[in-house]
Amino acid sequence: MNAPQNRRGFLRTGTALIALPVLESLGFRRFASAAPAPVAAARPKRMVFLGFGWGVTEQSWFPDVAQKGAGYTLPSGLAPLARHKSDFTIVQGLVNKDVSGGHTGSTFWLTGANEFGAPGQSFHNTISADQIAADSLGKATRFDSLVLDCGAAANASGHGQGLSLSWDARGKPMSGPKTPVEAFHRLFAQETTPIEVQKTMLRQRRSVLDNARESARELQRQLGKTDNAKLDEYFQSIRDIETRLSRDERWLGAPRPAPGLPEPKPSLAGYEEIALMYDIMIAALRTDSTRVLSYRQPVSTLLTSLDVRIDAHTMSHYLGKGPEYLEASEKRDRAQSELLAGLLDKLKSTQEPDGSSLFDHTTVVYGSNIRTGHTLDSCPTLLAGRGAGLRLGQNLVVAKDTPLCNAWLTLLRGSGVAVERHGDSTGVIPHLLA
Amino acid sequence: MPTRVTLRLVSVNLLIFAVGVPAARAAAAPAGAMTERHRAFLASNCQGCHGPEKQKGKFRVDDLPLTMADLPAAERWQKILNALNSGEMPPEDEAQPAPEAKANFLDDLSHAMVGARKRLADQQGVIALRRLNRREYANTLRDLLGVHVDVSALPSDTGGPNFDTVGASLFVNGNQFEIYEALAQEALEEAFNASIVGSAPKKLRFEAEQAHPAFLKKNQESLEAIDRMNRWIKAVDDAAASPENATLVARLRKDAPADDDLRFHWHKIPGAPSPMNFGFSKETEVNPRIIYRHRDYVDFVRYDEYYLRLSALDRGAYLPVRSNTQPFGFGGTGIATEPRFPIPRDFPAGDYVVRICAGAAPGAPAERLFLDFGLKGSFVVGTGTPARSTHHVTGTLEAPEVIEIPFTLTRANVEQNHRQLFVRERGFLNLARSQQQFREAVQRNGHGPEVAIWIDWLEIERRPVAPETLSPGLRALDLPLDARVADVPPEKLRGALARFAQEAYRGIPAPDGLVDRLLRLYDSRRATGGTHRDALKQALATVLSSPRFLYRAEPEAGAARRPLDGLELATRLSYFLWGSPPDQTLRDLAAGGKLRQPEILAAQADRLLDHPGSAHFVRPFLGQWLTLDRVDLFQFNQTLYPKFDDAVKAAARQEVYETFSALLRDNGSLGELLSADHVVINALLADYYGIPGVSGDAFRKVALPAGSPRGGLLGMAAIMAMGSNGQHTNPVERGAWVLRKLLHEPPPPAPANVPELARLGAQLLTARERLQLHQQEPQCANCHRKIDPIGFGLENFDAVGQWRTTDTYQARDEAGKPLPNAKKTWTIDAAGVLHKGPAFRDYFELRAIIAAKQENFARGFASALIEYALGRPCGFSDEPLIATIVAQAGAKSLATREFVHALIRSPEFLSK
Repeated sequence: MNAPQNRRGFLRTGTALIALPVLESLGFRRFASAAPAPVAAARPKRMVFLGFGWGVTEQSWFPDVAQKGAGYTLPSGLAPLARHKSDFTIVQGLVNKDVSGGHTGSTFWLTGANEFGAPGQSFHNTISADQIAADSLGKATRFDSLVLDCGAAANASGHGQGLSLSWDARGKPMSGPKTPVEAFHRLFAQETTPIEVQKTMLRQRRSVLDNARESARELQRQLGKTDNAKLDEYFQSIRDIETRLSRDERWLGAPRPAPGLPEPKPSLAGYEEIALMYDIMIAALRTDSTRVLSYRQPVSTLLTSLDVRIDAHTMSHYLGKGPEYLEASEKRDRAQSELLAGLLDKLKSTQEPDGSSLFDHTTVVYGSNIRTGHTLDSCPTLLAGRGAGLRLGQNLVVAKDTPLCNAWLTLLRGSGVAVERHGDSTGVIPHLLA
Repeated sequence: MPTRVTLRLVSVNLLIFAVGVPAARAAAAPAGAMTERHRAFLASNCQGCHGPEKQKGKFRVDDLPLTMADLPAAERWQKILNALNSGEMPPEDEAQPAPEAKANFLDDLSHAMVGARKRLADQQGVIALRRLNRREYANTLRDLLGVHVDVSALPSDTGGPNFDTVGASLFVNGNQFEIYEALAQEALEEAFNASIVGSAPKKLRFEAEQAHPAFLKKNQESLEAIDRMNRWIKAVDDAAASPENATLVARLRKDAPADDDLRFHWHKIPGAPSPMNFGFSKETEVNPRIIYRHRDYVDFVRYDEYYLRLSALDRGAYLPVRSNTQPFGFGGTGIATEPRFPIPRDFPAGDYVVRICAGAAPGAPAERLFLDFGLKGSFVVGTGTPARSTHHVTGTLEAPEVIEIPFTLTRANVEQNHRQLFVRERGFLNLARSQQQFREAVQRNGHGPEVAIWIDWLEIERRPVAPETLSPGLRALDLPLDARVADVPPEKLRGALARFAQEAYRGIPAPDGLVDRLLRLYDSRRATGGTHRDALKQALATVLSSPRFLYRAEPEAGAARRPLDGLELATRLSYFLWGSPPDQTLRDLAAGGKLRQPEILAAQADRLLDHPGSAHFVRPFLGQWLTLDRVDLFQFNQTLYPKFDDAVKAAARQEVYETFSALLRDNGSLGELLSADHVVINALLADYYGIPGVSGDAFRKVALPAGSPRGGLLGMAAIMAMGSNGQHTNPVERGAWVLRKLLHEPPPPAPANVPELARLGAQLLTARERLQLHQQEPQCANCHRKIDPIGFGLENFDAVGQWRTTDTYQARDEAGKPLPNAKKTWTIDAAGVLHKGPAFRDYFELRAIIAAKQENFARGFASALIEYALGRPCGFSDEPLIATIVAQAGAKSLATREFVHALIRSPEFLSK
């Protein structure tokens, strides 16, 4: 009946067994340097990906394409971001050319894959940009990435298939915390078990995993090729957990950082939920718990929380439907811009040990594969943060049909991720760089 | 290697077959191919720039293969489709194709595209290894251990384009293994506890009248306080009104013009008494507002007074009607809000039955005789907890009747201390409505709404847990489960683990290696200080998160196709029709080699369908096939549609399931889903549909009067409600749904990048005029000329499936305010012409046209059933199977069970 509390109960039992403490925090340099990854002099790069499903309002979100560069007029949909105008760039003209479904704002947004790209399969996807970043930027932190989602609200929010924005190296959907409460516990649940007991528990976890793998091998010998391809996911899940256990072991004994915010209330939905999730993301970055975050935001519950009584899909077809629909769509844009502005405020005001701000080392990607309605051309793309050496403050109109993946490639390389190409990328976007 | 060769042969056969068989659609081209006629369209419209001479954008159309046999070919055609849909091509300054020709071309191309995608994705009958989906997993744990586990921590398996049984879409990722293991530990913990608590009976009856004495006392106190307030106010006002105080009062009024404010200065007015003389506290002398507060509750106290004068209060209590967010009855007594009944703390998690003995109050109107039942936490002050179920009150005050409700108290309920059973009148939560009700009633009778439902008593009783009903898992284990057990002999433990694993693996013996490993795991737990119970739980949780439990493995013997063995068949059948593992009967038949005998298999299918467990087939299959979750997508506007509340919404959805269940039970014709002379409803829906003479919660067949729009899916409130947005109807959604689900002519997926119609804003148009603009653009017309006429034929159903004859449109300004003189009301005209089809004058004729196409419906149903049962998308290679099933069912007038029988005796179902 009260799902959030429920889930919390589950997480508690879960963490007692599996999730061990440990996060590098400002107050915990000592352990950070004890961790295997060396602490570089330069502050680490971070990347944040925010996806909002059902596109935006065509006429009031996109800056005039004729006003290129820094001197553009901020449209009303972006007005709440006015104080950050010189600190983000809008890119227009980017597309995922192989995406053809008008209801998939997030499935291929960060992957650029062709749904029909694999013969004999009804669905195909590839790794998402955030997971490429996680592979490289996530080595030294407690979590290589944190994949956040909005649970059941995602279904009506124009995201399309998937469990989050993130897809793993084999194109399988990834799942993660679905509420602020879950995210908070994943990051900050305090561990009270003595270290020796934790070590024993880790050993026991390993033997349980060995056991599971052995059982899977026994089965593997009896199965045919197709079935084994499926069973591979099970092996992969075991491997993923082992990787995490190794991480846990490295961080053994380091206490969890203070979250710096109270435990979220369950049952928040929409606007408040997104705001809180942003706060938790800031806390995750500030405590250096992870350096890569993705968040598939709710749209349907956002509307409800804004007292809009029109369902999200109908709202996205505001054209030709009467002013109340357009109004709902614009209200949604402003609310989302407000929330983003709040996130940018906090990135700027959170200090790093060297006196710089989180904003100086972070890249925020904010957008959707859907432009508006069912349109997929020129995906709404807002980039902020100084982490990837971007030229900020401009309205950048790129050549028609430039792959969205070119932007991802540019950001990844700018953040120090050695990657040759991504998805259907054809190269970096030079104008995006400072 | 041999496997690959076979597969190739299969696909060659398939191509020949697909070309040779008449496609479902009238188009001459085989699915996934275009024709020479289309090449002519390209030649005249595109080839000038994209042909042998010029290849603008490095793209040429003249050498395109007509059959989209591979991905590159499909991508080239997709590019053409995209360019035409977006209006990008032909360029504006070039000659444009005739709208009709363009629409036809787009129509054919988009269907060919769907066909090609489907063919290229065809799995050629191969079923990807199926993981238990979320609900099957919960059912399996329930059958094995007798406990209900909250599986919401697992990723959802629905929401994709396929059924949640399709192996290819059932992933395992990230930490999912750990979730399975943690859930298994939880389930085991609960099962162990339940077996230790044992079969102690638990039963408690609450007499509803027990709170009345306290309530009466409180009401008398409140009445008396109001009287004291009135007397003090009068005393002060009298003193203020006396002529000798006139000058003083005039001066005081300058700062305190209102009477209420003036009385703050009572001590300055000679002759005005202190409130303390009237029994009020010291602080009221400086702040009379504390006294005025009693005024806010006068209405409620009067209502309580009315309540307390009702008859039969010595034997029971009435359900009150809420008038305010605050519990009414000053200070609240419990009885005047919603009656709550705490389940005692020593009642363990498990299965119970709740009985409510209730009757109608004298003179209560029929539509108010429904009560909501539910469970909430004791600390919840508000009344916002949604009901679990809604029930019809069939008894009277003199002859109350017992409503019996199965009830499960979960471990989560226990942990969160959710132990308060509540009962309230339906509609209690609709604050706006109950406030209005209250206001109207006060005007009418001076006190408030008449009560409608009287409760005699409520009781909760634990279902008996006898040793012989011990869950199969624990029975197989046959071990003490107490933490204090010191040592279990290794042989005994080995036997127990082996038996448990075999039970968990649905009858397949556990490999020796597994039992050895489990024993080692157990020992290492014990060696590090774990109790017997902990160590056992760990070992068993390992079994319940191992792949043999989580996946329904069908080993491959080398040959591409082989017959399933008995157990595999039992498992397929049971998960198909029960969503849960095979029971002992199925397993015994499998072990005895009998299940593969056609008559035994058929008899078992009938047994499963006759069992209540078949609800675990009906609900998920029908719910996903007909996309019933759309009903929950919208918030239905409770001001416009107060009758369509949560209770009716749930009953409306239940109607779809119950109608199908009745068809299965009676083996009626599938065609009755298209048109029928009866409905399957309960009292609540009968009230909603305005059908008299139906009593009680049970759904049953009710004959319809002639001329009723009900009967069949189209007449169901749930189906029409999901073709709306909670406020207005959505004819496009309805039309597309009918094409997809009833006529089996699915329109292609909504194309991307079609320019939207922006010019309609505040124009006063009927819904039909508004949508007819779709048909001006060929990009829209190619689909909407098929969709829209059907949608408009259903316009007589409003957004919540009620019959109507008029509709209105109100234009609004930028701020959303209604514009004056900008409202249009029109009589609904449902007449239309199907694209390349017959004309119809109204909804009834449209329904008849659709009902006449029951063969199409049967084909769509068969392909959905194939996908659901086999756990793989239904592809072109399944056309012969579809044809066989429809032919066999057709020979028996499309008898619903015959579809299931025809499918389970097919080679596809019987072999790996």
